[in-house]
Amino acid sequence: MPDYKNIIYEIKDNIGWVTLNRPEKLNAINDEMLRELDEMFVLAEQDLDVKVLVIKGAGRAFSSGQDLSGVGTDEVLPPSPLNKLPSKAVLEAARRRCRRWEYIFNVCKPTIAQVHGQCLGAGMYLALSCDMTIASEDAIFGDPSIRMGILPIFPLLSWLVGVKRADAMLLSGKSVIAKEAERWGLANKVVRNEQLDAEVTRLAKGLSLMHSDALAITKESLHAAMEARGVGPAWRYTSDMELLMQRRTVKSDDFDFEKTRDKLGLKKAIQARDNPFKGLDQ
Amino acid sequence: MPTGFGWWFKTQYQKNQWEAMEYRGREYQQIIYEKLSDRIVRITFNRPERRNALNDQMYNEFQAGLHRANDDPQVRVVIIRGAGPCFGSGHELSSPKGEESPPVHPSLNPTLVDYFGFERRRCGKQDDAQQYPKILISQVHGYCLGASEEIAAISDIVIADEEATFGVRGFTRLPFGISNWPGYWPAESNKYWGGKLAPEISGRQAEEMGTITKAVKKEDLEAEVLKWANALAQLPLEVIAIYKEWLCGTMDMLGMGTSYRTHYGKHHTLQYVRFRPEEVNLYKEKKDSSLKGFIKKRRASATVEDKGGPQRSG
Repeated sequence: MPDYKNIIYEIKDNIGWVTLNRPEKLNAINDEMLRELDEMFVLAEQDLDVKVLVIKGAGRAFSSGQDLSGVGTDEVLPPSPLNKLPSKAVLEAARRRCRRWEYIFNVCKPTIAQVHGQCLGAGMYLALSCDMTIASEDAIFGDPSIRMGILPIFPLLSWLVGVKRADAMLLSGKSVIAKEAERWGLANKVVRNEQLDAEVTRLAKGLSLMHSDALAITKESLHAAMEARGVGPAWRYTSDMELLMQRRTVKSDDFDFEKTRDKLGLKKAIQARDNPFKGLDQ
Repeated sequence: MPTGFGWWFKTQYQKNQWEAMEYRGREYQQIIYEKLSDRIVRITFNRPERRNALNDQMYNEFQAGLHRANDDPQVRVVIIRGAGPCFGSGHELSSPKGEESPPVHPSLNPTLVDYFGFERRRCGKQDDAQQYPKILISQVHGYCLGASEEIAAISDIVIADEEATFGVRGFTRLPFGISNWPGYWPAESNKYWGGKLAPEISGRQAEEMGTITKAVKKEDLEAEVLKWANALAQLPLEVIAIYKEWLCGTMDMLGMGTSYRTHYGKHHTLQYVRFRPEEVNLYKEKKDSSLKGFIKKRRASATVEDKGGPQRSG
């Protein structure tokens, strides 16, 4: 088993348990964690002993999203529009970012996200790319990317909850509490905090007793139907649009997250980012 | 291209219809255009005595208002609402027969090509407004029916009085594929096809179904809309434009463009419906017993509420 620093990967009773493991950073996803997840998914897909994958977070949250510190985040965050990189490089990076979620969505084994606490940005992309999302009552879903001028790169949301709800979430960056997430279909089931482990374990064990070929074929047929409804092209289109977003003109009165962070620190930058939108969250 | 019948085809090379509607020098008579702040414009449908029914003039002024707000480099959010008792009661059914808003009068007897161009243009107004590069927020109270409901449906954010009424009078929504379409399919298709959608639903029910953003008490409506408008107006203009292009693109992949095409195809098909004697026919009823007579007969024969079907609450 590879020696990972940012995730824990264990296999027990045909279940692959993946724990995002940067609890002191609320499991913020940085480039190193992405690389470890990439490697883990490839290993798990090929491993006949792994019939189902469970992804969860260590500590107080599933994941607070992309690591916004600006250190070791070239892969997980698109470059600032002020950074005039060649279009080819920006587009290739955008494609990698979008394809990662598409790939996880299409992994040939059932995947379960066990969500508690914050599940934001790329953390939400990860949780919703899984086949099933089981959450505890304290879970919060959302994607504040747009507030930083970053295009949300998760078109799948429209397919999952309908365009009106996806638009409200992605256009405003508003968050959604667990109970509402269950009603909307963001989460398959919401249970009490103390029941989350048991509920997910029960589900994973049940799935692990099924024939892995049957699971793979069933998932493939469901995803073929989604593909027919345009999910595949939507990822590709999204990477093109991310390039456009990176090419925009930044005006002097636009909120500049990076500048604010470098001047006031990460915490205050996040506050400045979210303050105008207070009251929209549930 | 001109069709020889006085109507024009909208080709892919032409402007959006709201872009083609001139606002310079225009005096608005049926809408109110206000700048609430540098970044927020409010357009009010202002024919309260007609429950803001959409005739050509009001729709044109609405489109000109969108054009003007888009040309204003400060504006980021456009609020749409109705004056008086409601947001809007749909197409103006008593308009003169040459108008685009109501169904085409059969006596005009257009050729198939004319009619198709006309329908494409009429439905294209909604399609074009949906592609608007700034944020649209609909503030809905009272009736929001038919074509007015479609204006709400193309808005990014819809905040409604929980007692508002969304729907299409005298029809189920099934032939109206795009009314509130974005929320219905595919995520809500079970609700759509499951027969749970009565022709008319309340704001509260619409929120539960995900076809609007939020339902609030009537007294909180304006404050809630302004809260959203003020928050969203903080986003940079280009971020909004690119986001909306992205969202509309993914909606096209979801089938939105095809849905519009199907919709105007269906309008066209309906032109060739031959009514049986017992069926309610707008133009025959208007001729025989006036518009009120038609509405009365339609209510008696075609509204599910009156047949003991699903009731709207509230």
